[in-house]
Amino acid sequence: MSVFVDLNLSYTADNNRLRALIETAAHLGFSTVAINYVFEPTTKKKQEIPAPKPISALIDHLPIVQGRSRPITVLNRLTVVMSDSSHFRPNAAEYRGFDLLAVYPTTEKLFHSACMLLDIDIIVISVTEKLPFFFKRAPVNGAVDRGVVFEVCYSAAIRDSTMRRYTIANALSLMETCKGKSVILSSAAEKALELRGPYDVINLGRLFGLSDADAKEALSSTCRSVLLHAETRKTASGIVYTRRSCQEDSPQPDLCDAPAAKRPHLAE
Amino acid sequence: MKVWTGGKQGKQRWRRRSNTTPRSLLVCERSSFCDENNRVSSQVEQLHFNYKVSVLLSDCSSAPSHLESLLTSFSHFYLVRNLPLHELLDKQFLETAVYQGNVYGLSYRTRLDEDNCVALMPNGHLVLSLDKDSFQVLGFEGKTSTFNYKTKNRYVVTVDLTDGSMAPGRQAYLRLLTGLTSRLPLQMDFLLSHHPGGGASLQALLSRYIWSEHKPEVGTCSLTHLPCPDLQSCDPHGLLEWLGAVDANISRDNSSSSFLSSLVCPEPKRTVSRALRISICGLLLPHDVQRLIQELRCYLGQCQPESWVSLTVHGFVDSPVSWGGKEHGVLRGGENFYTLFIFHDHTYHLHLAAGAQDTCPP
Amino acid sequence: MRRDEEKGEAAVFQRVVLKNASPYHYMKVCLVLEDESTKLSAVELKQFIITGLKTLYGEVGAALNFDLLKYDEDTFTAVLRVYSKWLVKLWSSLTLNGFYQNQACAFRVLQVSPFLLALSGNSRELQLD
Repeated sequence: MSVFVDLNLSYTADNNRLRALIETAAHLGFSTVAINYVFEPTTKKKQEIPAPKPISALIDHLPIVQGRSRPITVLNRLTVVMSDSSHFRPNAAEYRGFDLLAVYPTTEKLFHSACMLLDIDIIVISVTEKLPFFFKRAPVNGAVDRGVVFEVCYSAAIRDSTMRRYTIANALSLMETCKGKSVILSSAAEKALELRGPYDVINLGRLFGLSDADAKEALSSTCRSVLLHAETRKTASGIVYTRRSCQEDSPQPDLCDAPAAKRPHLAE
Repeated sequence: MKVWTGGKQGKQRWRRRSNTTPRSLLVCERSSFCDENNRVSSQVEQLHFNYKVSVLLSDCSSAPSHLESLLTSFSHFYLVRNLPLHELLDKQFLETAVYQGNVYGLSYRTRLDEDNCVALMPNGHLVLSLDKDSFQVLGFEGKTSTFNYKTKNRYVVTVDLTDGSMAPGRQAYLRLLTGLTSRLPLQMDFLLSHHPGGGASLQALLSRYIWSEHKPEVGTCSLTHLPCPDLQSCDPHGLLEWLGAVDANISRDNSSSSFLSSLVCPEPKRTVSRALRISICGLLLPHDVQRLIQELRCYLGQCQPESWVSLTVHGFVDSPVSWGGKEHGVLRGGENFYTLFIFHDHTYHLHLAAGAQDTCPP
Repeated sequence: MRRDEEKGEAAVFQRVVLKNASPYHYMKVCLVLEDESTKLSAVELKQFIITGLKTLYGEVGAALNFDLLKYDEDTFTAVLRVYSKWLVKLWSSLTLNGFYQNQACAFRVLQVSPFLLALSGNSRELQLD
């Protein structure tokens, strides 16, 4: 097992609220969190992909993780809502500013291509509507083989009882297919009071059809492999890693501490 | 990564697995101190890292003076900040402390289910519970954790520092030393205690880092009109629940039909007019607990025949080892504790409890 | 359940191993409310938890028995006792309880154990500075 991670804290323009979110997450015992920027392209007009705010601009002193002596690690993540295959641009330079890349496919065809083809880390499972398709074994296994994971968010289930029904139904149908492996549980919280402690989420995993051990994996080890997957995505076959050597005003977002041990090997 | 491929049967097993509550174990022993084969002292020795001892004395309103002086004489312990782990392999430290035996060391502010945890046991064994990354980087032999056997996410490295092959300069020693200095320079806050030597034998190590000395914290609380079940006939879970309620100051004067709580003292019960609860917190050594048990037995000898004493010892939740150096894990709470009831006629009841990821207590 | 008995001459040595026999689980929980000045009595808290159980598990959930052993009105901290087989249900309903009288709230579960004694001896609470 490794440290507990919550890879989805919703981004809000309100800095105070975001700071409260990070502080609560640290207080609850999460060692790494990711701030999630959602990009929802529409067919009508061309939109800007959001740029991640540097963490240092959000918060001066990162809070200490509960019961430990180290501060929390904060990452940036982009979620692209896909309703058409053109919405995901594989080589967009804007994607490079984010540590993690996720897609939210809305149709079965897009789900299939997200599982099998797209160069991403996370596939978000819908929790706000009834799933328009059924999880087939083939694409799910394909995603598992490629190291792409599925994400179930629980904060919608706290907000609304209809959403709760969709969350549980969709999560159960996912677990039937993937047997509890390659799944991460995250909050998608917008407010600090929508966050729950790691052990609470592990217990909640029971409602989604996960065993205690699998749910614990879903909060720790699986997240760690996502972070490693995200790092290798930025490299060529996981061997060569390039970065601009002169940086003046653009501080590189902090990388997670979990894969730090492996980082020197990648950089070599 | 692997997918569950067990067909229909596998699916059923997977369903069943997701419906069980985590395991818990409770071992109950009854015997007498007069019995030559009684194992209390060896059982006390086997739980190395004790966090809290709480004592309940029936029919007693203030602590007897020699009990009080015993409690204040519990060994002090030291907190070292950011101790690099290779310091534990330091030749001087090995000679002045580890080879003499009875050094207790435990990483502090680390969580067993998330971080790397380390324990140095009194018999000179060093136990490192490492996550997968750290284990592979360390490059020293170890075993998969018993409780993460399927996923292989946690590894346990056990080294006997007193063994000949781990003597300074030998190959295995150098391999671990280079692993901890260059490849995996682990640093953590560390609790240390040495039984006969005290601080003197640790001084050389302490002086190089920021450290502080701590004294176990003693608290007393006197209770009156305590309803108390019949200790001889009460079932073990009911008894521990009652004792837990006394420890947590939970009121027991409910009727079984009240709305808030139906917790009542198990029948048949009697009321103890006065009782005293003493607790002591810190890194407590089994040796001190032994002395406390002796003292409590002496005290009981002077009391009325119906008096009794209970002693509860809680182990550290995040210690990588529990009973007798066996591996310990945390699923959602890593409880490991034992309760000893001593009676006037030298008989005792011992209850040893373990949580989900623990071996059976001795 | 394993049972082995040895009869000595002076005293009887008896050893019983009970596995998964704890009838109850104990939870230490703390309620966090958006408006911190709200007052909540023990009865109201229990009623609130029952309402949460009812929304998630219906009438069967509302019939689920649990005890509020201890409650501190100043810190909103409570100790609950529930039958072991119902722990998952009670815990998940606490987790998904997000609103108290239209204000946001959250239950923080501090510790869960099959032994009430373990709640008063949690080494994760050790503070040395």
